Amino acid sequence: MAGPRTLHVRCTTWEQVEVFHTRKLRRGKLLSMRVPFRADPGAEVTLNLELPNQVVIVIDGVVLKSSPVETDPKAARSDAGKTWLEVELVGFTEDVVARIRRMAGGGDPSGEPAPAPAPASPPPRARTTGAVPVLPGDELPADERLLFQQLTAELRRVRALAVHEVLGVARDADAEQIRRGWMNLIRRHHPDLVARRNAPAINHLAEELTILANRAYDRLRVALVAEGRAASVGPALTPPPGWLVGFEDISSTGSILRSKLAQTLQSGGNAPQVEPLARPPSSAAAEGGEAFEQRARVMLGDGDSANAQEVLAAALCVYPRSRPLRSLYYVASAISALGKGEVMLATSQLETALAHHEDCAEAAAILELLRRPNTPPGSAEMTRLFR
Amino acid sequence: MSRAVGIDLGTSNSVVAVIDKDGAPRILTTPEGATTLPSLVWFSPDGPVVGELARAGLDYSPDLTIFGAKRLLGRRFDHPDIRRLSRVLPFELVEAPNGDTWIALSAGRSVSPEEVCALILREIRRMAEDHYGEPVTRAVITIPAWYDAAQRQATKDAAQIAGLTVLRLLSEPTAASLGHGAHRGADRRYLVCDLGGGTFDVAAVDVEAGIFEVLATTGDAFLGGDDVDRVVVDNLVRDVRSSRGFDITSDTVAVERLRLAAQTTKHELSDVAVSKVYVPELVQLPSGRAVEYHKPLRRDELEQWSASLIRRIEAPIKEALKRCGRKREDIEEVLLVGGMTRMPAVRREIARVTGREPHVIPNPEEVVAVGAALEVARLDGTIEGVLLIDVAARGLAVSMGGDCEQVIAQSSVVPTREHRVFGTRHDDQLRIEFDVWEGESADPAQNRHLGRYAVLDLPPAPAGDVLVLVEMTIDTDGTVRFGASELVSGERLQLEQLYHAGLARTEVLRLQRQFEEASS
Repeated sequence: MAGPRTLHVRCTTWEQVEVFHTRKLRRGKLLSMRVPFRADPGAEVTLNLELPNQVVIVIDGVVLKSSPVETDPKAARSDAGKTWLEVELVGFTEDVVARIRRMAGGGDPSGEPAPAPAPASPPPRARTTGAVPVLPGDELPADERLLFQQLTAELRRVRALAVHEVLGVARDADAEQIRRGWMNLIRRHHPDLVARRNAPAINHLAEELTILANRAYDRLRVALVAEGRAASVGPALTPPPGWLVGFEDISSTGSILRSKLAQTLQSGGNAPQVEPLARPPSSAAAEGGEAFEQRARVMLGDGDSANAQEVLAAALCVYPRSRPLRSLYYVASAISALGKGEVMLATSQLETALAHHEDCAEAAAILELLRRPNTPPGSAEMTRLFR
Repeated sequence: MSRAVGIDLGTSNSVVAVIDKDGAPRILTTPEGATTLPSLVWFSPDGPVVGELARAGLDYSPDLTIFGAKRLLGRRFDHPDIRRLSRVLPFELVEAPNGDTWIALSAGRSVSPEEVCALILREIRRMAEDHYGEPVTRAVITIPAWYDAAQRQATKDAAQIAGLTVLRLLSEPTAASLGHGAHRGADRRYLVCDLGGGTFDVAAVDVEAGIFEVLATTGDAFLGGDDVDRVVVDNLVRDVRSSRGFDITSDTVAVERLRLAAQTTKHELSDVAVSKVYVPELVQLPSGRAVEYHKPLRRDELEQWSASLIRRIEAPIKEALKRCGRKREDIEEVLLVGGMTRMPAVRREIARVTGREPHVIPNPEEVVAVGAALEVARLDGTIEGVLLIDVAARGLAVSMGGDCEQVIAQSSVVPTREHRVFGTRHDDQLRIEFDVWEGESADPAQNRHLGRYAVLDLPPAPAGDVLVLVEMTIDTDGTVRFGASELVSGERLQLEQLYHAGLARTEVLRLQRQFEEASS
């Protein structure tokens, strides 16, 4: 057999290089391929890998296995005379990978070792229109171990930096520069860019780097707003009115209720401001709840069941497990229902109140009044219960 | 790796999409051949029924047929909204032990909204497995952009119960722009108007150099195709009374039949100017004879009836523009999403309010699901050059009994992390408890309680000597996780959840097993 055979692999884009590296090349630098010549195991093969920048890298290899391709009768094209080769690319060393990576990163065309690591802040990118830009994230090294090392080093470096240095901008940078710096960073490190690798460790590193970038971005934006150099920190995503649970309705029920709540909390004094760690949590909840409860009772005593209901609803957001509060809420709701003449609804509310808290005397008392044969209970009778 | 799908889990309809081998998106069909699966679950005597078949439940047992479970996901029972909602819903809402909203089934049993959504997702999973002929265990699920952490977690839990790993929770406006192909075009400022079955959502989305960012969201939580149906049915019921002389208001079966017929007619009237409502058997007379109902309906009649609803489109659009500080001239493209945007009157109104002709997508019902499927492809690395940026819809705060202290600000870009240091307050203190809230107020009453946590097994030391660093991370999906360590030694400390919103992990796992057994 005359001399070593040469195979030529041409990659026109860096993605193809990456695909070649990650998909075609198996562990142990093994490359399987179909070739139009016969080769015996042990024979030497040379692989010429042509990169997108026309640099050809010569990689030495040794044939490990060779078997003729079975001709598939169904396939139209003839595979006769072709051979499956399994080649070990012994010449595909870490140095070669590193060299390719440097070239992919836009380094010098020869791929010789660069004098210093590339700075983390590439020049600001002009607003592109038309074509989708190639993200630097796509140019991360294909090799997992290299990528891991690179991200770890990057993380160590970034952790030690001040926020503006993280984004690679000046201390007094404006909103646009900060945004550019942040965009460049997340284009390099966003975890989505490495999600396809399915490597938890790399994903984690990418997430950590993104967290640092996002935090730097948020802090600089907050600082800009504080200095009055920007209008708002970021987008305000709010649900359509009425969608979300928790706070909006309580705050929108008007300043009167809010000030009442504030009074409650202050006059309740003992509850929220007191050091909670000195007590078991349950008692803390009960005491805080009492402040609300008293306030609601006063309202109920004044015949203002609607506001009492709102106060209790608010209180239940803070102390969701307080049984007295919950049962009182149902009592208030029952009184409101009675005010509208809805006896059935009121009865069920009172029963619910008792179900939540058996000792709820008011609920039992009003139920008793309801069972009275002729006259429905008057509001005076009910307000008296709370005085 | 197993197959993954993109799911638009809607308030009234759900859609599932996959990317074919040739890169083209494909909408999967239900066993009945429809491209949308009604988000309906009927807890029938023979077990839960999902989708189109569950519509029968609306006739037989409206109290056991759950719709709009998405509205209830991750919400507190005390909230006035839920109180209002519980008055109008035909099924009963109850309070779960941890204060969440659950649904009472009349059999003395209650289910969480997560389980209801999981039943829908399981049906979707079956559709996908029928299509592929192999297991499907991963999905991208779309959610409203303003979903808070509790709602996001609830969505994830629902998926887990259904046996699906969530690759990413994707915001609906982003998904719509992605499905529309915004990643292939030039930089644009989009306004996404999504008018579906139950809700109207408006979002301003910026696409700049391959980075998608949602800038503002608003909407109307109770405006959609169902409301138009209701108006039409009300008018038809009135017509039945005047033309036939009997009142069917209280006859739920007849009203439901009328609603289905009216819905079909409404769809037809988007393409033609005149159609008719036809119900072969509206009611049965005491003699046993069936009464047929037949009424021609013109498009302008429909538009007149729904005019007051369509007028409600204007305010949210203006509000969305105001919130992101834009004038309507700044918007470069208006995207129409959701089946209701097929209605010519809706398109006219949106064109009038935004001052530009909206972009008409051939498949407004499906574009969000297509976006979700493209997201699957993006995470797999098939689509490059696109990054989707999400922000925390709500700030995160902690308290130790008193006022809330903001830890992570609203609209922080996620993923993000912040920490707080807590010190012991008395000698040999063994544990530190703290509450976590979602919201921006210092007053706990105005925030949403996410949970109460305890740092356990502190080393014995004089007061103030043990410092605990609590880290809060909001991940790329917008869900929250916690970690605690001793500040000085850096040693990991155990963190216990004393109370938290949503289902407990053990409960999710138990339900997941239960679902697996039910399917096999």
